[in-house]
Amino acid sequence: MTVTFSAPELETERLILRAPDLSDFDAFAAFYASPRASFVGGPLSRELSWRSLALEAGHWVLRGFGRWTVIEKETKATVGIVGLWHPEGFPENELGWDLFDGATGKGYATEAGRAARDYAYGTLGWTTLTSLIAVGNDGSRRVAERLGASYDRDFTHERFGDMQVWRHPGPEACG
Amino acid sequence: MITLTGTPTLRTERLTLRAPQPQDAPTFIEFYKTDRSQFVGGPMNDRQGWNFFCTEIGHWVMNGFGMFVVTYHDDDTPLGIVGHWYPNTWPEKEVGWVLFDAKHEGKGIAFEAARACIDHAWHTLKWDTIVSYIAHGNDASVALAERLGALRDETAEDPGKEAYVYRHPRPAA
Repeated sequence: MTVTFSAPELETERLILRAPDLSDFDAFAAFYASPRASFVGGPLSRELSWRSLALEAGHWVLRGFGRWTVIEKETKATVGIVGLWHPEGFPENELGWDLFDGATGKGYATEAGRAARDYAYGTLGWTTLTSLIAVGNDGSRRVAERLGASYDRDFTHERFGDMQVWRHPGPEACG
Repeated sequence: MITLTGTPTLRTERLTLRAPQPQDAPTFIEFYKTDRSQFVGGPMNDRQGWNFFCTEIGHWVMNGFGMFVVTYHDDDTPLGIVGHWYPNTWPEKEVGWVLFDAKHEGKGIAFEAARACIDHAWHTLKWDTIVSYIAHGNDASVALAERLGALRDETAEDPGKEAYVYRHPRPAA
């Protein structure tokens, strides 16, 4: 018996955004074991990475939205996880992006982030959207800037520490 | 609305075992805030409990099986969570059990639910082995494992926590 949940699939020029599943585990665990995960709660052991990937799937069922696994169309490679996120302990709905090693510098976070934001404003009817960015995560801050977001306020997360809330342009501005 | 599909429901004499649903989250989270959860990963705060409940649901997506919420047939109140647990990094697949409230103990609920899950693991999921990992000091759980016919396996690997490994004997074919 196959257990699934009905997450929508999104497509952009270069990327497919689909629901996370077990086939993402190796790429997800490699990212969360790497120093690059230090801004998003890592590094994590393989077991904690597994639990975290399961959490990504469960978040969809609890909240009705979540983050998508991002696939590069040309190579079919799993390049990251991007989407809409609001676990307990977050101040507002957020748009988050984690790009895996080797996938940065191509504009993928911006491309996937824009598609996820359009889905939030268009399909879900949200009126505002933030991104939480750990202090010092300059790569992520630059993605927020490219998406037109601006600094809103400081926020301290129980586990991730000092962060900044960046606020995206609203639905009208994103057209 | 995003729903989980394809999950089975098991029925025993008194109990319904169904996949966890969003409405079960508050009971799960409240349990994990209490000392009753000390042998099963707790206690934990709201944030951690919420994350863990998401992982319980996501486990079904990852593996096609997972932990069931246990209720009486005619009352959807969650009594506990019993079922199949296998983070894919663990040495073996587990049947595990938790009753949320002490008032549900002593009625054979965990026994009845766990026995159904053991049958399901052998006959439907076709597992090769079944263990239960039981934290040191969890005497009630050890007693239940023994009533289920499981035997302590001193040589089996545990998944990196301070736990006894109880092995459920394969039924005669």
